[in-house]
Amino acid sequence: MIKQLFPIRHVMGYLASLVLSAAALIVIYGDLSHAANVVVLTVTAIIQASLQLFVFMHIGESADTKKELYINIAYALFVGLITLFGTLFIFVWGWYA
Amino acid sequence: MKIDASKPLEYSTEENSNKIFGFWVFLGAEIPLFATLFTVYFVMVNRFADGPSGPELFEIGPVLAETFLLLTSSFTIGLAVHAMRLGHKKAMMIFMGITLLMGLGFIGIEIDEFFTYVHEGATLQTSGFLSSLFVLLGTHGAHVSFGFLWGVGIMIQLWRRGITPATANKTFIFSLFWHFLDVVWIFIFSFVYLKGLM
Repeated sequence: MIKQLFPIRHVMGYLASLVLSAAALIVIYGDLSHAANVVVLTVTAIIQASLQLFVFMHIGESADTKKELYINIAYALFVGLITLFGTLFIFVWGWYA
Repeated sequence: MKIDASKPLEYSTEENSNKIFGFWVFLGAEIPLFATLFTVYFVMVNRFADGPSGPELFEIGPVLAETFLLLTSSFTIGLAVHAMRLGHKKAMMIFMGITLLMGLGFIGIEIDEFFTYVHEGATLQTSGFLSSLFVLLGTHGAHVSFGFLWGVGIMIQLWRRGITPATANKTFIFSLFWHFLDVVWIFIFSFVYLKGLM
């Protein structure tokens, strides 16, 4: 009963997200360079977001809509990232900075 | 209503499948919304005028508690959907109840955090940094608050009607919303708090 209610996939996904959150703390308590810190944050955040998407939200489970959902999320990320990096390019990294 | 028994209950009718698909499209619109709020924050982060800056303001303790609560609640809502697919109504309601209580705990800590900030003279009007910070955190917090009320409503229906194609569908869509809020929080945790404190 207990084993049935706690599928191993979900438990592993949960433990992995806790470990990744803890690992990200190295940027505060560790002694890495600024660039390395940003890489650590980016990598741990992207892995965690993917865990949620694939393990918990089961994005690929329905064969009827699988392709459409991937395109939908990919397009949303495309719009979001263009907004983010386009703005940073002009206001933070560009000559207005 | 044609019920396709080969699929999980929440997908079992055409209307149900369409609702799940529609909700994914909605989440596809939420991504640019939060991306825009993050963008504003990154542009404003060093413009703290006469007010406090991020490192002066942020405290890691409450942030870790919030992160733990949201991560765990995202796990328990996943377990609730899993229990639902097994037909265990009681286990499903317990997991969902735990999820909502953790959501409430998260909101409580965040309100306390805002209260502390304002008490330290860091208000919405103090600086560009604080305006963008409060709007980003507040939009996420408003989503969690709305999610809490939504989840309570679904639990009342589950309790009264049991696991039906309609209530299963609502619960599944709610779980998608809750996981999404956790994803947004991960980015706030990493790129607002940890980046601010590093």
